[in-house]
Amino acid sequence: MMGRLWAIGLNTFREAARIRVLYGILMLVIGVNLLAIVLGEMSIHEQARVARDAGLAGISLFGSLTAIFLGVFLLYSEVQRRTIYAIVTKPIARWEFVVGKYLGMVLVLSVLVALFSAAMLALLTWQGVALSSAIGKAVVLAWCEVLTVAAIAVFFSAFSSPFLSGIFALALFAIGRVTPDLRAAASTADASWIRTVSSATLEIVPDLHLFAISGRSVDGVAASVHGDYVSWGYVAAAAGHGLFWIAALLVLACVIFQRRDFV
Amino acid sequence: MTTDVVIRATDLAKTYRTPFRRKKVEALRGVSFEVRKGEVFGFLGPNGAGKTTTIRCLMSLCAITGGSASILGQPVPSRAARQRLGFLPEQPYFYDYLTVNELLDLGGRLFGIAAAERRRRADTLIERVGLGNARGQSLKKFSKGMLQRAGLAMALINDPDLVVLDEPMSGLDPVGRKEVRDLILELRDAGKTVFFSSHILSDVEQISDRVAIVVGGKIEDVGRPRDLVGRAPLGTEVVLAIVDDADGAKDATAAIAARAEKVRATPGELLAVIGPGADVDDFLVFAHRHGAKIISVMPRYETLEDLFLRRVAASHRGSAPEAVPP
Ligand SMILES: Nc1ncnc2c1ncn2[C@@H]1O[C@H](COP(=O)(O)OP(=O)(O)O)[C@@H](O)[C@H]1O
Ligand SMILES: [Mg+2]
Repeated sequence: MMGRLWAIGLNTFREAARIRVLYGILMLVIGVNLLAIVLGEMSIHEQARVARDAGLAGISLFGSLTAIFLGVFLLYSEVQRRTIYAIVTKPIARWEFVVGKYLGMVLVLSVLVALFSAAMLALLTWQGVALSSAIGKAVVLAWCEVLTVAAIAVFFSAFSSPFLSGIFALALFAIGRVTPDLRAAASTADASWIRTVSSATLEIVPDLHLFAISGRSVDGVAASVHGDYVSWGYVAAAAGHGLFWIAALLVLACVIFQRRDFV
Repeated sequence: MTTDVVIRATDLAKTYRTPFRRKKVEALRGVSFEVRKGEVFGFLGPNGAGKTTTIRCLMSLCAITGGSASILGQPVPSRAARQRLGFLPEQPYFYDYLTVNELLDLGGRLFGIAAAERRRRADTLIERVGLGNARGQSLKKFSKGMLQRAGLAMALINDPDLVVLDEPMSGLDPVGRKEVRDLILELRDAGKTVFFSSHILSDVEQISDRVAIVVGGKIEDVGRPRDLVGRAPLGTEVVLAIVDDADGAKDATAAIAARAEKVRATPGELLAVIGPGADVDDFLVFAHRHGAKIISVMPRYETLEDLFLRRVAASHRGSAPEAVPP
C-alpha cells in the first residue's frame, strides 16, 4: 500500500512542479515580504510587527490559495483527461489513489511553505528584525492551515468541476477564517434564525481561525501573540483540529470517488 | 462453472445518466458473451455500438446498471483480477510530462514490482513496441501512434494473463496496424488471452479466433468467423474476356448478361455473377460458344463483412440507442 501511495504522490509532485503559476506565486510572496518591509519602514515603532505580520499572512493566504488551486485541478484533470484509466485499472484501490494525490499535494505545499518561510526569514534577518520561537510556531500553524484547505478542495473536486469546487473551497476558507464572528453571532444575534444558522455553520466548518495568530486577528493582545503567548500545546491542539478535518474530508472524498463513473 | 472462461458478461446493461440534464442513454441493453482462455477475441461493432462502454464496465471504470460480469473468475470489480490484467484504453492519454520509461516505472510500482525488475521489463517492452529511439522524450512530444505503443507497453508491464485492448489499431498506419496484429498473435502464442475491440472488420477477421458483433448495445452474433457466415455459396463469379472489336461482341455480351444474375463490364472483360441454383457448366459452355474466353471461375460465400453490414443495416431500420425520455 505504501508503495502505491508513494508512486501516486510522487507523480503528483512531479506534475505540480511543472505548473509555472506556482513559481509566480513564490515571486509574489517574496514581493509581499519586501512590501511589508517598506511599509514597516514608514511606521517606525511598528516596523518589526508589520513585517512579521505581512510575512505570515502571505504564507497563510498564498499557501491556502495555492492549496485550493492544486486541490481543485489535480484530481479533476486525471478524470477529465482520462489519465486515470491507466491507473485505476491497475491493482490499486480508489481510496489509495485519492489519498496518494493528497499526499502529493502535501509534498508540494510543504515545499512551498518552506520556501515562503525561508524567504520571509531571510528578509526579516536582513532587516535586523528579532526572531523568536513565536515565528516558528506561526509558520507551523500556517502550514497546518494550508494542508487543511487542500483537503477541503480535494473533497469538493471529488464530485464537482474545478470552477464550482474553487468557489465552494474559497467560501469555506473565508467562513473558516471568521469563526469568532460566527461564534459571537451564534450567542448574541437578535434574530433567532441567525443564531441557528451561525451555530449550525460552526459545526460543519473547520475552524481555520485557530491557525491565524498574527497580531491583527487577535486584537489588543498583539504584543503577546508575538511573544511566547502561544504555547506549543496550543499549536499541537490546533494541528489536531486540522488533522481531524483532513481525515474526515478525505474519507468523504474517497467514499464519493469510489462510486464515480469515469467516462 | 468452467475455469476456462476468462471474461464472462451476462446480460450486461449500462445506462448513462447526465446529471442535471436528466438525459439517459441506454448504451448497453443486455450484452452476454464469454471469452475463453488462450483465445483472441474480437469485439466488432460500428461506432457508437457500445464497445468502449462494455470495456469500461468490465474494467470497473463505470458502474454496471444491469446484469453481471466477471474477469479471470472474479466478479467485477476485483483487485485480484486487476493484478493479472493489462488494459489499453481507447485513444490513450498519459501524463505527458513523463518519458515512456518513467510511465512504465509508475505502472510497475502500482503492481509492486521490485525496482530492478521494473527497469528490466520497461527496457524489454520499450524495444518490443518499437519506442527504443524515443526513450528520452516526454510523452508530450509523442505522436498518436507512439502513444498507442506506449499504452501497449503500459498494458503489458505486469506480464498479464488477460489483455484488453480498446481499438488498439486506431490511428495507426498500415505498418503499425500489422505490428499490433502481430503483437496480439505473439501474446496468444505466449498463452495469454486477448480481448480487443475494433470497428475495422479486416483487423478483426484476420486474427480473431472468435468474434462478437455488437450493434446498438446488443450482441448480434458470437462465434468463430467461419461458423457465423453461411456455408452455402451465394453464387459464382465468372470473369470472361470478350474481344471488343470482333463482330457481334455487343450481342454476345447482351446474351451472356441475360443469363447471369448480375454483370459488370469493363473494356474487354465481363464479370458475371450467376445465382447459387444455376448450372455453372452450362453457363460456361454458353459463354464459350458466344466467343468469350474464360479467365476465372470463383464460388462466392458469405463473408464476415456481408454479415457485419447486414447487421448494421438491420439496426438502422430498427432502433439505434437513442436518448430516451427520463
Ligand atoms: N459518457 C457518456 N455519456 C452519455 N452517453 C455516452 C457516453 N459515452 C458513450 N455514450 C453513448 O453510448 C453509446 C455507446 O458508446 P461507446 O461505448 O463509446 O461506443 P463504441 O466504443 O462502440 O464506439 C453511444 O450512443 C454513445 O453516444
Ligand atoms: Mg469506442
